[in-house]
Parts: sequence; structure tokens; C-alpha cells
Amino acid sequence: MTSTSAPDNELVLAAIEQVWGSMLFATADPWPADQPADFGSGVQAQIELRGDWNGRLVLTCDSDVAAQIAGAMLGAGPEEVLPALDVHDAVGEVLNVVGGSVKGALEGVSALGLPGVTECTAPPAPGDCLVVSWRDAPVYVQVVPDAAA
Amino acid sequence: MRALVVDDSRAMRRIVTRILEDAGFDVLEAGDGQEALDVLETQETPPELACVDWNMPVMDGLTFINHVRQRPQWRATTLMMVTTESEQGQIVRALAAGAHEYLIKPFTGEAMVEKLDLLGLLPAPTGDLT
Repeated sequence: MTSTSAPDNELVLAAIEQVWGSMLFATADPWPADQPADFGSGVQAQIELRGDWNGRLVLTCDSDVAAQIAGAMLGAGPEEVLPALDVHDAVGEVLNVVGGSVKGALEGVSALGLPGVTECTAPPAPGDCLVVSWRDAPVYVQVVPDAAA
Repeated sequence: MRALVVDDSRAMRRIVTRILEDAGFDVLEAGDGQEALDVLETQETPPELACVDWNMPVMDGLTFINHVRQRPQWRATTLMMVTTESEQGQIVRALAAGAHEYLIKPFTGEAMVEKLDLLGLLPAPTGDLT
């Protein structure tokens, strides 16, 4: 089933659940709105969608969470410390695959950009994004139309 | 057997490489289509398999496949597109350009091994015959 409008939370959550399950061997449940979470330094990945709907997906998480996600994706041992380059690359690829699934469900969207990853200092406001769980921590995913950029 | 993994993501190259090594392949890696062509140029005989991402900087996977298919000495290499591009039209484009198989991300190791089996690229079992 395809849609010409902006990707909604249901569609994005379905893509995240698929990626969490097949690439990270974890489940992605909605993060309880009233549950507090630590956020020191963070990692933020972005990827553009171009076509009938134009905008970007943005994934933000705490740096420790990013390292855990990369470790799960790469099958790293519990004591293995991955270089920041590998952590950023893995988080970018996770968003790339989420973006591919979202793109596939959007009628008319014809191009997916390449992911970019930067460091950040704060998560987005909870009301502005979909918040899903990674183990016992939140991961924030935003759908940002160009007009709001 | 040998395989070339072409993906701009180091993480994805590592995942695909691990699956292929477990299946008995020796693996070469490249970070984009141009780098993959450069790797192929250095090989006395081409690898039996190339797993190719679509969206990459410098040279994308579809362009890489077009280059490979124009070179008679590389025709024996089986090309598997491994990509997030899931639309039917994109799959048709890749197969028309010369890809032999198509695997959509996210995928499991089992799904990739099934594709290798379909392509006849899994080594024969070497288990105990007694």
C-alpha cells in the first residue's frame, strides 16, 4: 500500500520495527511519554527524500545508545569499543534502510539521498517526533518536510 | 570462490562480508562503484560474485553494473544488487541492466544465503559422508 502524503508515524514505526528486527535483533516499542531518559552527547543522522513529497528523516539518540546500536548491527562483543567513525556509519546505515522502507511506501517519491551523521547535544522535543525504544533507552525519529526546515 | 562487496557503508560491508565468509567466500571490498571497477582491474580473474549497493557516492551501483556488463572479461561475475530500493520499477531497471539477483535491505543472513543457493554459488557440502 502506498501513500502520496508525508510519511505518518504508523508508516515510520513499521519501517523501524522491520529494521530493528532484521538488522539489530531487537524490538522497537513506542517509548512511554512519561518515562525520563538520560541524554548526554548525542548522534543525529539525516536522510533526504525527494519527489512528490520532499523532506527528510532525522534519527537522534544518545551516544551510548548509538554505540550499542552499532555493536548490535556489527555483532561486536560486549567489551568491544567501536571507533566513532564506525558508530556514525552504522547509525547512518540504519536510517538509510528505514528511509528506503519509507520511500517504498510513498507513491511518487523517487529518490533517497545519502545519509549524513553529526553529533548533537540535545534530543528533539518529544512532541515533534516519534520516540521508540532501543533496549531501555529512547531513539527519536522526526519526519521534517522542507517547508519546516 | 571469491566475492566483491560494494557498499559505501562500512557497517553494511562488514555484515555482508561476514555472511559471505561464513558461506565460504574470500571477500574483496569497495566503497563505491568506481573503487569497485578499480579493484576488478587488479584481479587476474574476476570474482564469481559481486554484491552491489545502489545508492553510493562517486559511482552508483547501477552505473557500476552497466560498466561491468560492457566488459567481456567480467561477464562470468554474477551480480547481486543489495539495496534499499524496493520499488518494482527499480528492480526491473537493475535486472535489465544486467543484475542477476536483487536483495532488498533490510535482509537476514538466511535470505542472502537463499539467493546464493538459487544462483548456484554455494560451495558443495563437504560433510561426513559415512
